[in-house]
Amino acid sequence: MENSSDPLQNMLLELRRGILSLAVLSQLSNEQYGYSLLKALSDQGMEIDQSTLYPLLRRLESQGLLQSDWRIVNEARPRRYYVISAQGKAVLSTLKREWSAMTETMTKMLS
Amino acid sequence: MNLIDKYIAEVGKHLPRRQRADIEAEIRSTLMDMLEERKQAETASEAEVVALLKEYGEPRKVAESYVGPRYLIGPKLYPLFELVTKIVLTVIFAIALAGLALSLSRSSLMGLEFLQRVGESALNLLGSLIAIFGNIVLVFAILERTLSAKDMEDESEEWDPAKLESEPDPDEVKIGDQIWNILFMVLFLIIFNLNANPDAWYIRENDWNFLSLRFTDAFLSYLPWINTLAALEIAMGIYMIRQQIWTTATRIVNIALQLAWIALGVVMLRGPNLIESATGFSRLGNLMASVTLTIIIIVSCIEVAQMVYRLMKTRPALPYPMVK
Repeated sequence: MENSSDPLQNMLLELRRGILSLAVLSQLSNEQYGYSLLKALSDQGMEIDQSTLYPLLRRLESQGLLQSDWRIVNEARPRRYYVISAQGKAVLSTLKREWSAMTETMTKMLS
Repeated sequence: MNLIDKYIAEVGKHLPRRQRADIEAEIRSTLMDMLEERKQAETASEAEVVALLKEYGEPRKVAESYVGPRYLIGPKLYPLFELVTKIVLTVIFAIALAGLALSLSRSSLMGLEFLQRVGESALNLLGSLIAIFGNIVLVFAILERTLSAKDMEDESEEWDPAKLESEPDPDEVKIGDQIWNILFMVLFLIIFNLNANPDAWYIRENDWNFLSLRFTDAFLSYLPWINTLAALEIAMGIYMIRQQIWTTATRIVNIALQLAWIALGVVMLRGPNLIESATGFSRLGNLMASVTLTIIIIVSCIEVAQMVYRLMKTRPALPYPMVK
């Protein structure tokens, strides 16, 4: 269980929370359903809980950054497929630039 | 209902109705994907499903992660809020309906005046229901903000998916209730029709006919209506036992049937005496008849309230099927 009184844990949590939106947006140029996105993120070293991912997807969708629809592909069960929207692409592009600038600054500061 | 269905229903209880079907469908889809990755979803043992659900998380916390922290009444209090609202509004509706039926039965209003009284009462009832609902919301919103985080925490031990309860299906017909209703109606028909001839109904004590009650002609004029409604009630009961599920159509028919009983009850209460006695017990007999009619009106009002509530609370539609 998360120990909210541990300052290190809190800081790590905040750090991760900040970059999750960016990570999710970056992986949705091709449409994916929730679980395949979870696996794609995990395969690249970004472990994320389902209970964090799905609400985040809905939030990004409500902000207009993602689009989704329920579909049945290859005779499988109905799944909700997510893909980045035009507005999401513009935001992602800005975020990428900001991220590069931030990491450059931080690398200098921490070296 | 399997464990996954029970789990999803439990999560759904803590979600706002508007989003419920959509989030439930997404959780189901994810759980099936997770299960499929481990093995064939159809062949997963209960222990494997329990492990999966434990991994996915406690239903209330899963719901909370979707709903977020900004709400008037949070996921912890929401099931209690829903229960209290259902009970209070149903009871108020039933009492108001019964009150209206009884006051109309004692008044001499006819025609337009009668309809005007019904309309005024309906508006008053609507106003009362809204005010009461507002007060319930207010109380729960205050509780939500005044109870400490500790009060809101579960003191319960570790969450166990195996202990999830089945969600009763509100549309399922309760066979026992239907059988009792049919038996009651048959008894009703036998008592009234076998005793329709004068002097046949009395209470014996030591072979002395001390009450000597019998139905008046006024009662006998209502008998065809009673027989028709009782026969319809029996037919409805048999049909529902065969169907086993309530639909919008059967609920509407049942509401119409109960309203017909209420109307007949009101007319009989307003009308002349129903019982007479050769030995001076007609007041007692008519008091018994009035009490019985009042009970029938109240029970019918409760049934109408329940049916109207269920009619209005239709199941939210699934977000699919979608185009392939």
